[in-house]
Formats: sequence, structure tokens, C-alpha cells
Amino acid sequence: MWRYCLLPGLAVWLAAMSPAQAFIAYVSNEKGNTVSVIDTDSWAVTDTIKVGQRPRGIEFSRDGKFVMVAVGDDDTIDVIDTAKKQVVDTLPSGPDPELFTQDAAGKILYVANENDNTVTVIDLEKRARLGDIQVGVEPEGMAISPDGKILINTSETTNMAHFIDTAKRQVVASVLVDSRPRFAAFKSDGSELWVSSEIGGTVSIIDPVKHAVTGKIEFSIPGLRREAIQAVGIGITKDDKTAFVALGPANRIAVVDATSHKVTKYLLVGQRVWHMAFTPDEKYLLTTNGVSNDVSVIDVAAQKVIKTIQVGELPWGITMSPR
Amino acid sequence: MKWPIITGALVALAASNQLCHAADPRYPDWPCAQAKVPEISLAAVWAGPPIDDVQNKWKDDPKVSALVAKVAARRTPLEEAEKDIKDFLASSAGDKVMAGKLVFAGLFETLNAERSSVMNGLERVMRKQRDAAEKIRSDTINLQNMQSSSSPDQTKIDELSNQLLWETRIFEDRRRVVKYVCEVPTTIDQRLFALGREIQQELE
Repeated sequence: MWRYCLLPGLAVWLAAMSPAQAFIAYVSNEKGNTVSVIDTDSWAVTDTIKVGQRPRGIEFSRDGKFVMVAVGDDDTIDVIDTAKKQVVDTLPSGPDPELFTQDAAGKILYVANENDNTVTVIDLEKRARLGDIQVGVEPEGMAISPDGKILINTSETTNMAHFIDTAKRQVVASVLVDSRPRFAAFKSDGSELWVSSEIGGTVSIIDPVKHAVTGKIEFSIPGLRREAIQAVGIGITKDDKTAFVALGPANRIAVVDATSHKVTKYLLVGQRVWHMAFTPDEKYLLTTNGVSNDVSVIDVAAQKVIKTIQVGELPWGITMSPR
Repeated sequence: MKWPIITGALVALAASNQLCHAADPRYPDWPCAQAKVPEISLAAVWAGPPIDDVQNKWKDDPKVSALVAKVAARRTPLEEAEKDIKDFLASSAGDKVMAGKLVFAGLFETLNAERSSVMNGLERVMRKQRDAAEKIRSDTINLQNMQSSSSPDQTKIDELSNQLLWETRIFEDRRRVVKYVCEVPTTIDQRLFALGREIQQELE
């Protein structure tokens, strides 16, 4: 999400200045209760940071100084200082926070609390709770529209994507999707909202203005049973042309033509692939593979897996430094 | 002395009941929290060239079968196994693809068989545990009856208390072992996937 606030000119300048720009990725290890720090120059784990119980959702602050990680079993969000490489503070979420998202300015954080059917709104500067929004049962996926006006929250049991007006902090529409929605992502131009369904094994394409499902991406891999194909993490390139969808225990990432919504390729990555993050230059895509305890590095242009990095136990979420 | 034994026995039984609740109705004897996946499907671990034309041929090649036996064994560290595979494929310059397919076919068959035998063992232990739980339950009731009798026989009470203590201890020990062994099928999955990935990378 950092990309919306970075000037395109600056990005070009950075790319020209240092072609081998190194970025830093932070990976939450759900079972290991740690966060692994990966250097994208050496493709090696440089640090392992102890965090609270059951870390899942993870994201850099917009200024790159902090990494926030939802530690569900501790009912809070740990704040890691990226210079000190340790937890320095916590944020007041509700019970069992799983995923969260922040507004474009990086001032407000919206947290999905799986256990009490609410989304908590947190002021990031004051690190204080501003309020709660009632949503469906077991809220999970979170996304903010490019214009910041609409917050999307998916609820796992209600099987809906809720549209929340960020100014009023109220649900204004709900769209039914396939079973157990997990993750939501907007195209950069705001024209489409994609919602993955873990049990349904599909990605629903939603018109964010009409609040209607306009298409569905289905996946099929010869020799694999349908229930092994579970759609979870989604990554769409900034030009809105190519998308990548993590398929859980199918151990594959689907490459999707984001215009025609057709699957063009399946890449074998690691076991139970869950979430992903691009490097800011979009040359590489990193995926977390829960069962094989590793991270796969995909060359985005070549659409090939080029590297595997061992991390902690049960890697779940991943976030990339903004610079 | 007696009450702790009964309490211990009841705690153990309560735990065994929890196991029953968590079970998948399709596999009533499956004791693990991890979902039972009876077999690893080929497509979940292999995206390389089709291996249906090699089937059992890996067993006919002594070099391949020796390599499979070594790298499939969990006592061989994974890094060492990956290096062995890499070296073997590098040395089989003639038909690297065929060599890779043979090694993978051997690993797939060997590790799937090992996995099945571990899972069968777990289910066998679960059935034994169920019988043991039944025995603890009836012994506990007998002990309670003896203790509340108007003329309690202290010798028999002590004997049965002792027996119950042992039964509970064995039950608990088995439960701990099961919890540990439940991780083994996943460990085998991980190994097959990692070695399969190594072979595919070498073939690319």
C-alpha cells in the first residue's frame, strides 16, 4: 500500500541510482512466535525477533520505522522498532486480532478482531483506540479503497465483504461471496475489488460502486482435489495487469491476467502458501509457505521461482520495507 | 492418597474425551489434532515431467534405489540429502531428466508408504487407548464402591489403587507419545516436498 504515497518520479530515480536496491522483508511465524527479517540483496534471514503469541497480520508503518504485527493469542498488536529490531510498544486492538490495514497517510489503523465481530479503529500517532465498528462473524480480510473512502472487511462465517464508510465508520453495503472469505485487494485504479475464498477456492471480482459480484476466478490443477485448492493471499501489480493468488495446500501461486481474469500459469512454491508481498520495484514477489517453513522468491517478469529461504515455524504474513 | 489417583484418572479420561470430540467422523480412530490426509497426492508435490512411465523402474537401478533409501531416511540431514541428489543428477549427464524422474518416483513411493505405516500405528494406539480408558473408568467405579462399603477391605483397596495408578500412568505416557508422533506425517510431507523441489530445480 506504500506505493500510493510514493512519488512515481522518486521511484524512477531510486531504480536508476541503485539497480540492486536491497529491501527488507518481515515475516510473521505463527507457530514460532517470532518475526524473521529477510534482506532481499543476500536473500538471507538477518534477524529473528521474538514477538507475542500467534503472530499473523504484519505491516510496515508508512515511514518504514516500525513494523506492526497482530499477536492474536495476546489480544494485541506488537510494534517493532526496525532500527532496534525488537518490540517496543503495543497497540490496543480487540480480542484475537488477525489482519489489519492502514489509511494512505499511515495515521489510522483498522484491525479485524476475529473473536468479537468488530473492527477496531486505532490512531497510530497517539497509539490510542478511537472506536469500534460492528461487522459480520469472524472478521478477517481488510482493504482500503485507493481514495481512502471505503474500508473493506470480509467475515469468515457470514461469507460477506462488508463495505464500510471510513468517514461515518458504518457498514454501508455487504456483498455475498464464496465460503470463508480470507483476503481483499483493490486494483490500483479502484475499478475492481478482489476477494479470495478459502473453502470456495475462488476469487470474486466485485464492482465497488455497484456492490455486485461481476466475475469469478476459478482454479483447477490436474491431479489435485478441489478442496486442496484454497484461495488466500492476493497480489496485484501496480499497473493492474497481472495478479498472483496463493492457493494454500495446493502449494502453488496462480498467475492471473488481471484484465481477462484468466489463469495463465501455476507456480509450485512451498507447502501451504498463504500470503505474499512484492518488493517496491515489483521485480520480485515473496510468498510465505506455512508447512514447509519457508519463503519463496518469484521473479515477477520471468514468472519463475528463483529462490527458497528457510524462516521460522509456520510463516503466515509478510510485509516489505517501503524503501 | 486415593483421591489424587481418582482425580488423575478422571483428568486423563476427560482428555481422552476431548480427543474424541476433535475427530474427523471419517476417521474415528485418528488421534491427532492435525487433519488426516491419507495419501500425499502427486500433484501437490510435483510439477515436473510426468512420472507415470517410470513406475517401479527405480527399484531396478541399484544406484537410484540406494540413493532413495539414503535420502528418504529422516536420520539423513535434509541439506545432505539435497546435496546428494544434486551430485547424483549432475553425474548422470546422459539422461538427467530420466534420472530425476526415477529418484522422485522412488521417493514418492517410499515416503508415502512410510507415512501410511506411521498413520496406521497411530490409529492402532488410539484403539488401545480407548480400551485402556474403559478399564480405568470401571476400576475407578470399583474403587469408589470399595471405599464406600460398610466394611472396607484395606488390602484390596490398596491393591486396586496401585493398579489404577499404573493404568493412568501408562495411559498418560501413551498420550504424550501420540502427540509427538502426530507430527511425523507432516515431517515426511515436508521432506518429500523439499526433495521433490530440489529435483525439479535441477531439471529446469
